[in-house]
Amino acid sequence: MAYLNLSKIFIFDPLSIFFLAVIVIVSLPSAVYSIGYLRGETTVRKTFLAWILLAFFIVSMGLVVSVRNIFLFLVAWEIMSLVSYFLVIFDTKSEKSIQAGTIYIIMTHIGTAFLVAAFMMMYKCAHSFDFMVVKNACLSMPTHERSIIFTFLLIGFGTKAGIVPLHIWLPYAHPQAPSHISSIMSGVMIKTAVYGMIRFIIYILGPGDRWWGISILAFAVITCLVGVIYALMERDIKKLLAYSSVENMGIILLGVGLSIYFLSVNIPYLAVFSMVAGLYHLINHAIFKALLFLCAGSVYKATGTRNIEKLGGLIKKMPQTAVYFLIGAMAISALPLLNGFVSEWLTLQAFFMGVVNASGASRIFLIVCAGALALTLGLASACFVRAFGITFLAKGRTHHSLNAKEVSLSMRSGMFFLSGLCIIFGLGAAYIIKILASVAGEAAGINISAMKFSLNNFALTLQPGRGVYLSTPILAGVLAILAITAFATYKMIGRGRRVVYNTWDCGYYKLDSRNEYTATAFSKPFRIVFSFFLLPFRKTQKIRDSFYHVKSFNYETRTTKIFIKYVYEPALSLIIRLAKFMRKIQPGSIHLYLSYIFAALLLLIFFVNKF
Amino acid sequence: MQIMILFGMLASTYLMVIARRMPALIRGFRYQSAFLFLLTAMLAFREGHKDLYIVAGLILILKVLMIPHLLIMVAKRINLDENLGLFINSQLSLIIALVLTYCSWLLSVKLDFSYVHSLPAAITVAFSVVFIGAYLMISRVTAFTQVVGLLVMENGIFLLASSISDGMPFFVEIAIFFDVFVSVVIMGLFVYRINNLFTHIDVSKLSRLRG
Repeated sequence: MAYLNLSKIFIFDPLSIFFLAVIVIVSLPSAVYSIGYLRGETTVRKTFLAWILLAFFIVSMGLVVSVRNIFLFLVAWEIMSLVSYFLVIFDTKSEKSIQAGTIYIIMTHIGTAFLVAAFMMMYKCAHSFDFMVVKNACLSMPTHERSIIFTFLLIGFGTKAGIVPLHIWLPYAHPQAPSHISSIMSGVMIKTAVYGMIRFIIYILGPGDRWWGISILAFAVITCLVGVIYALMERDIKKLLAYSSVENMGIILLGVGLSIYFLSVNIPYLAVFSMVAGLYHLINHAIFKALLFLCAGSVYKATGTRNIEKLGGLIKKMPQTAVYFLIGAMAISALPLLNGFVSEWLTLQAFFMGVVNASGASRIFLIVCAGALALTLGLASACFVRAFGITFLAKGRTHHSLNAKEVSLSMRSGMFFLSGLCIIFGLGAAYIIKILASVAGEAAGINISAMKFSLNNFALTLQPGRGVYLSTPILAGVLAILAITAFATYKMIGRGRRVVYNTWDCGYYKLDSRNEYTATAFSKPFRIVFSFFLLPFRKTQKIRDSFYHVKSFNYETRTTKIFIKYVYEPALSLIIRLAKFMRKIQPGSIHLYLSYIFAALLLLIFFVNKF
Repeated sequence: MQIMILFGMLASTYLMVIARRMPALIRGFRYQSAFLFLLTAMLAFREGHKDLYIVAGLILILKVLMIPHLLIMVAKRINLDENLGLFINSQLSLIIALVLTYCSWLLSVKLDFSYVHSLPAAITVAFSVVFIGAYLMISRVTAFTQVVGLLVMENGIFLLASSISDGMPFFVEIAIFFDVFVSVVIMGLFVYRINNLFTHIDVSKLSRLRG
């Protein structure tokens, strides 16, 4: 009965427990939310099915992060992929869901193929599937073999994590699932890829070449920028959030990549620190992305559309959802006090420390990465100003938003819980970072007892005595005092008089909702700035009565998805051409099939004769 | 004596290759099965096995009498055009059959059956009967020939088994006979159905069914 020994199957080290905690934190509110979300959406049987699939999904993710055996890991990984595929195509009537599901299942299997290859190489070296045995065996593996395994793992887990250019499934699959599933997929499922990277690259393979970390950083930086630029262009609110997930995975991987880099150049303190930054952003992103997806789901449930151009004015119809969305948007835009700010501050600090400690080309590379990260953060804020402003502010643009109602209690409670966590994880940063430090230290195999990341339970610091501190509670206090002062000043010397105007009237009068700023208009400057990448396409069509009077005017603009057009479409057409070529030997004639068999037989006999 | 029977078997196979019409083909199969019966009966006489006598009797009943009769009956029932429809004409087919016989000789030499105490020619004949059966399936248009071709291949395999190992275990033989008989019945039904549905049994036109 040795194989039933639980300690042989499960590994409950700090890393696994941390990921289990992330799964629970996101899954619980999403499950509660789904009570209200699924009501009236489908038949009773289908709702039951949704619950079963949800349970399977959560359990499979739990298994992925807690088994201690490569084989079981792979099985759990595949179960997770398949269950999430079924959830993506849950709305079986929609053509889009099926298409999204197909893209997802193909991409995820390409990723798994690379993982299987990497795991086989590990098994060949260790002759065991157990993590510990493989870990010991990997120490004596030749360098080039380790590098091949690393590359395969990067591609395999990168597909799941959605790093550019393997991200294409993510913006299709995540929005098509029901919203509570989108929140779990974006919040947790893609994080299992980060778990895989930390577990297999840092924990098992151990420190490697310098280029390992550098390549992860390069991919992560591109992922950040591409994700956020596409998010800025997107009009479908759930797709926007999905692209933002791509961006945030990039930020998380920046932390992990830096950690791998620092391990390879042997700076243990910074390795732990960067991994802490990555893990912190991981749990933060899980929280606020889940929150935002739940809010987007509420908007969809209340209005029946996901196109933000058709929404507007929802803050008056759904005030609570609006507040939760605002908290999530502020957190993801890294505004101070909320959790996103802390983790992105930590990531940037890790870069600055890296720049100080590096030299030569890698120094410049790290500076460029830090600059790109800063740009990403700015663009992310713009993206969420746009998402919140167009969706919740202004006037209702169509009947969709005019007839909206606040969602049910179960849905609101899920969102309330997560937005509360956004604030807690912002204010309690100094305490949480201690826990994360122990997780990171354990995963990287570094003794952290001599390292300090926080002054006391209130202030974060790195390298004490350098004068770099961050204390969110004190910052909160200062901001509160400032706000109170400003409010009091306004009350005392302000005009006291209230004037009510139309929303977004801009000094005119009687502007209606068709005159308002739109999402497409808001993102136009970015479309121009990044036109080299987005390749925008514009078509105008005027029909005139005379030179002076235009009767109708059509304006159409769209951007080119560069990776799909220049990478995936050529590859796909090549495959289809090959398939058509192969089809020629499949004419459907029985005689021909029989003669293939016969020819194969004769060839084999010839082969036997030769050798 | 044995070599004469083997020769007869090969000759009847060639007869089937040059046959243009259904009755000639089935007659060829009948001759081939009869030679196989003689061979098995001789083996049984020499070895003195009771089982082999039963097997020989089954060959006589099933392959010489019942199956050809069944095939002719089905052919009559569906008012079949007697032409087989040759993709490759008789002369060229005969040449190909000779080449296949040569190949099977090469194969039997290469595979080295020297430990077998039957005639080396038996293995060559067995292989060539199998190959020519497959060739018949490929090069004739009607579904009927596919059935006969399969039966020819089965005969070849039986010959191979009996010449290598003095016959397979009794129960295996019985099971194979049963299988062959059932498959002939099923295929006869199929041919009948295909004819009803499409008013012909030209297999080459079945390719229209593909998507």
